[in-house]
Amino acid sequence: MIQIEKRLREEAKRLLETKEAAVVLAFGRGFDEEHPMPLILRKPSDAEKIVFNEYCTFNMARHLTEFPPGTKIAVAVKAADSRAVTVLIQEGKVKREDLIILGIPVAGMKDFRSGTAIDATTTGPAVNPVLYDILLADLLPEPKDVSPYDVLAEIEAMSPDDRWGFWSAEFSRCIRCYACRKACPLCYCETCFVDQAKPRWSEKSPSASSNMMFHLTRFYHLAGRCIDCGSCSRACPMDIPLYLFHKKVSKECEEMFDQAAGMCVDAKPVMVDFKVEDSDDILL
Amino acid sequence: MSRIGVFVCHCGLNIARTVRVDEVVEFARKLPGVVLAEDYKFVCSTPGQELIQESIEKHRLDRVIVAACSPLMHEKTFRKVIEKSGLNQYMLTIVNIREQCSWVIEDEDKATEKAKAMVNGAVYRARLLAPLAARFIDVNHDALVVGAGITGIQAALELANAGRKVYLVEKGSTIGGHMAQFDKTFPTLDCSACILTPKMDAVLQHPNIELLTYSEVSEVQGFVGNFNVKVRQKARYVDHEKCNGCMACMEKCPGKASSEFDELLSTRKAIYIPFPQAVPQKPIIDRESCTYFLKGKCRLCEKICQQGAIDYEQQDSEISLQVGAIILATGYDLMNTEALKQFGYGSYPGVYHALEIERLFNSTGPTDGKAVMRDGREPASIAILHCIGSRDKNYNEYCSRVCCMYALKFAHLFKEKTSADVYQLYIDMRCFGKNYEEFYHRLLEEDVKFIRGKAARVTDRALSPEEEGKLIVEVEDTLSNKFMRLPVDMVVLAPAMQARRGVEDLSRIFNVSLDKNRFFIERHPKLDPLATHTDGVFIAGACQGPKDIPDCVAQAIGAAAEAITIIGKDKLELEAATAFVNQQICCGCQNCVQVCPYDAPGYLADKGASEINEALCKGCGLCAASCPTGAITARHFANDQFMAELEGLMQY
Repeated sequence: MIQIEKRLREEAKRLLETKEAAVVLAFGRGFDEEHPMPLILRKPSDAEKIVFNEYCTFNMARHLTEFPPGTKIAVAVKAADSRAVTVLIQEGKVKREDLIILGIPVAGMKDFRSGTAIDATTTGPAVNPVLYDILLADLLPEPKDVSPYDVLAEIEAMSPDDRWGFWSAEFSRCIRCYACRKACPLCYCETCFVDQAKPRWSEKSPSASSNMMFHLTRFYHLAGRCIDCGSCSRACPMDIPLYLFHKKVSKECEEMFDQAAGMCVDAKPVMVDFKVEDSDDILL
Repeated sequence: MSRIGVFVCHCGLNIARTVRVDEVVEFARKLPGVVLAEDYKFVCSTPGQELIQESIEKHRLDRVIVAACSPLMHEKTFRKVIEKSGLNQYMLTIVNIREQCSWVIEDEDKATEKAKAMVNGAVYRARLLAPLAARFIDVNHDALVVGAGITGIQAALELANAGRKVYLVEKGSTIGGHMAQFDKTFPTLDCSACILTPKMDAVLQHPNIELLTYSEVSEVQGFVGNFNVKVRQKARYVDHEKCNGCMACMEKCPGKASSEFDELLSTRKAIYIPFPQAVPQKPIIDRESCTYFLKGKCRLCEKICQQGAIDYEQQDSEISLQVGAIILATGYDLMNTEALKQFGYGSYPGVYHALEIERLFNSTGPTDGKAVMRDGREPASIAILHCIGSRDKNYNEYCSRVCCMYALKFAHLFKEKTSADVYQLYIDMRCFGKNYEEFYHRLLEEDVKFIRGKAARVTDRALSPEEEGKLIVEVEDTLSNKFMRLPVDMVVLAPAMQARRGVEDLSRIFNVSLDKNRFFIERHPKLDPLATHTDGVFIAGACQGPKDIPDCVAQAIGAAAEAITIIGKDKLELEAATAFVNQQICCGCQNCVQVCPYDAPGYLADKGASEINEALCKGCGLCAASCPTGAITARHFANDQFMAELEGLMQY
């Protein structure tokens, strides 16, 4: 990790010095070692502020859409983060040629809240980025025989009523702080549907029905797009296991359309694509 | 408060059998805002329409709800009715209590309750309806026809004769298509060239037709009434303005290649016209076989040409056209049967495909019309194998529709030109057209042998002395249930008619969808066979599916008539129920751009938001449904109208 930090600093400095990038999106120090922060660099001298450790779990692709079109951006990405970049390219939010992707193959990241290792329960099992221009470390062997969907066994075994009960209970705890939305690299709408007054899709303050409305709609908006980075769940102050729902939707999309989100720049996100040979199972 | 009139239709017994109409009317009458509720046996009938009109005047209705059949059936009818009474035509809501209620629910109570709920929803929605204004655009009066086989030629001539300017774009160096390759045409046996070449010449001479051969459409922008088309004209290396068609160049040219027109059975020169009656009668140079282009030396044609028409430096050029309507007549490809190893095409010289046989019979073909094989021998026995790659789940499930008939034609011509025994190996004889069955009967009397069975294999492995030196066709005669080995000299395959190679590009360029066999999809298989889902783009001929010449010609004339309904007008009324983007809340995800079948939304990078071209928008609502921020409003199906309808449905 120290090596990655060193390489990240070097590359950030070089890219800003040569003006190959106007902005570098990386990780910086927060109030202590275990709480790094997103870092947006514009000056080569700032490169020293970059840190990289096992707590740099957030997805810097989140910030790609915050710059005017045409800005040359270098972005540091881990495995899942790179898939978010891919989706943003697919959706035309950023242009491939405007990006310099600094790929970080890394395993053993930790949740800063619990200090425990982040594994395929809450995110994808991959350790290598799928899209990069510069690799900051050697590629790692991908873990074998681990499916991101193993964790779903328990919830899939529930009866529909039990499942409804489970999610009703989980969502009833939601305080509508919208941290999930803020952490998500693909929730880039400037005006979210919940914030609209006409029509009012959902009440903004917490209640059982409006919480359900907000989360189900958000899951639906991320169907076929969610890249399973787990940022939303780690951001949630109420520890709602949002990843479970996202994983379930991703699994269904993958099974029906034979395409995982954000694996290939040239692919079209499944929910906005139509092929004659698409499975009819999507119809209820 | 709105003044709503509700009209509930019995549709004879279609609705009234399961829905208690009087109960629905009673219910509707009590709803807030409803000033009148009536029922009628057939609301779509003239008295039914008059009832609506009278009620609008008498009760000063400002909104009308018709609970009847699908809006696909009669929405237009009722829009006209209320417009005649002075209401805006969009102040109408149709409730489909037939297809969505009475036809799908057997229980009378349940059906009646559902009908009431649906009417309740419609009343909620109707309160929020807003008048929409029709819009008009100017129409370009010219047309584009793509593909100059018999279909494209016919369509172009029809349009030109109707006084419209037509651009006829053809990929090949001559017009005529597959029909020009044929010798005789079934069932009349008239000579293909004799009936086709006058039309080809008419195209060339017609003052309203601009013929663009050796050209392909590379880009289409715009919309019905106003298409901007880019056409790429490939370099011919012969200046057709200067060339006088003397053909002296062709005589001297040393370059040789196989003639595509003769299905590679003969050779042609490097500077060539495909066949003697080609239109235009002016040669092109094929770079692949030209000695100068291959070796850098020769230029004989340039020396011989007195017109100075040879131009080795010619480049591809691009032409821009503006047209109001487009007809696609891009035709078909014959299936390449080499992959079907069991039939031996490509391995045994005695195996031919249908187009090769057409050329063999033709007096301008490789054998000057003699029915002889590759080794020069006249065949003593011939097997014609039907359904090669057609009606076969391994290749193409569909029937190619023409093979039975041309197989009969081949049999007749073989009988006429040789003394051979001719066998037809068929699954079913499908002779469905006018005078086709009669032709079949004629052949039954011509000593042609019919074996009902699909050929399984062609082999040269002899099992008995009489099979030596022959091709043996293995087939099960399904009438006698006997397995047969049929030794013959010549095997003729009737391969499937397939969608053209590269049709995916055409699909993209013209925004016309393909079916699972890669043929173009018509808007409706029965009632709208020539239109596509892109307004102003029509399809005709074999690009839509296998067809014989009479069907192609009929479709060409039909497509021309369809095109005239657009380009014959000065102004075109556009759908008023279009969608628009609130760019303030658009997040720029471009879902709308991706899902729109009509290319109406575009992404404005500088604004980071989408914009909908209302001339292209058909009001289908896909964009509004896929918009995550709700930035898109589909007029007449606006989110608040939808939510109100849902509320009405659920509150019932």
